Amino acid sequence: MQRLWKIFSKGIVYENPLLMLMIGLCSAVAVTSSVANAVGMGGAMTFVIVFAELVISLFRKLIPNDARIPIFIIVIAAFTTIIDLSMKAYLPELSKSLGVFIPLIVVNCIIMGRVEAFASKEKPLDAVVDALGMGVGYTWVLIGIAAFRELLGNGTLFAAQVMPEAFQPILFFTLPPGGFMVFALFISFNIWLKKAMERRAAAPAKEAA
Amino acid sequence: MKKDILKLGLALALFAAGACVALAMVYSVTKPTIEGHEARNLEASLKEIFPEADAFESLNGALSSGSAGVTVTGAWKASKGGATLGLAIRTLGKSYGGDAAMLVGVRTDRRLSGVRILTLSDTPGLGANATSPTYFVEKASKTTFPGQFKDKPVSDPFEVKNDVSAITASTITSKALTDMAKAAAQAGAAWLEKAAAGGM
Repeated sequence: MQRLWKIFSKGIVYENPLLMLMIGLCSAVAVTSSVANAVGMGGAMTFVIVFAELVISLFRKLIPNDARIPIFIIVIAAFTTIIDLSMKAYLPELSKSLGVFIPLIVVNCIIMGRVEAFASKEKPLDAVVDALGMGVGYTWVLIGIAAFRELLGNGTLFAAQVMPEAFQPILFFTLPPGGFMVFALFISFNIWLKKAMERRAAAPAKEAA
Repeated sequence: MKKDILKLGLALALFAAGACVALAMVYSVTKPTIEGHEARNLEASLKEIFPEADAFESLNGALSSGSAGVTVTGAWKASKGGATLGLAIRTLGKSYGGDAAMLVGVRTDRRLSGVRILTLSDTPGLGANATSPTYFVEKASKTTFPGQFKDKPVSDPFEVKNDVSAITASTITSKALTDMAKAAAQAGAAWLEKAAAGGM
């Protein structure tokens, strides 16, 4: 149990895909201009990574090493298309506003990276837990950045007016340069968080000694 | 070596076949719903542009756009009790984020009855504001970007920042959508004129 928790929790802070591994950044900057988009993107991404890791881990012994990359891509592309079609059918508004970024999950390096580094070697249960951790790690960062950018750049949250009328939206935060700046703030926050957690983990160990 | 290639090819083929089966299943389940959305969207858009119309007649291929980069992908004649009210024209053009589709209504008095954006994949928070019902290009009168084309005469110049208000920081989107509206309006007006003259 503790082992699984360790696999799960590393995706949230210690090996956060966006803030520590720094992969999959392009679509993350692009979709975080509104919170609704961030939630949708995080959900879609988590779905794809969980099922891709599960399937690849289940069949890991049947995948020949020389042909593994094309097979990974087939599996990832299949699940991406499934979520794309389902969102078009059941969440048409969200699918419209996310546009091209859902199909682009196929080439998201987070999924490719986790499948190659983790799912192709580990047991299915571990792979699913790893995928969930990565998905949650990805989603919380997206929602955090999007909340920051939507609130300051547009004065709204989930498209509902939050800031007082007199607040003049700072358009800079909605534009890509503002996105990069907020991203950098989150990266430094995460490093601070990691160090604080390491200190806390080290403290009782010292007492014991 | 030869054996290896066969083995690799077989493995790839197996996974591809599995993926195909899964996709075919999802596709056939979601297809009717997606098509239903599209048909309902179109119906709702037509009704919004010509609220008083009681019948829409499809005029496939009867119109073509006179402007490069914009194509007409469909046209519907709106009528009430047999009298023509105007034309709704669906156009396809290129905007910042790729293809954009728009429905433009032209009345017989050579004014636009309204404009609806059907698909647009521009940047969320910027160009995508064109489709937002709460984004106003003129805050005082609460006019949305497509809303400003209502009752616009076809003979207007359709120039962004002149007679068309742009979306902040999205000049390409504003221009592309305005060009599409203009091409559709002119094609529609020309057809209506010909129809009136020919007694159609």
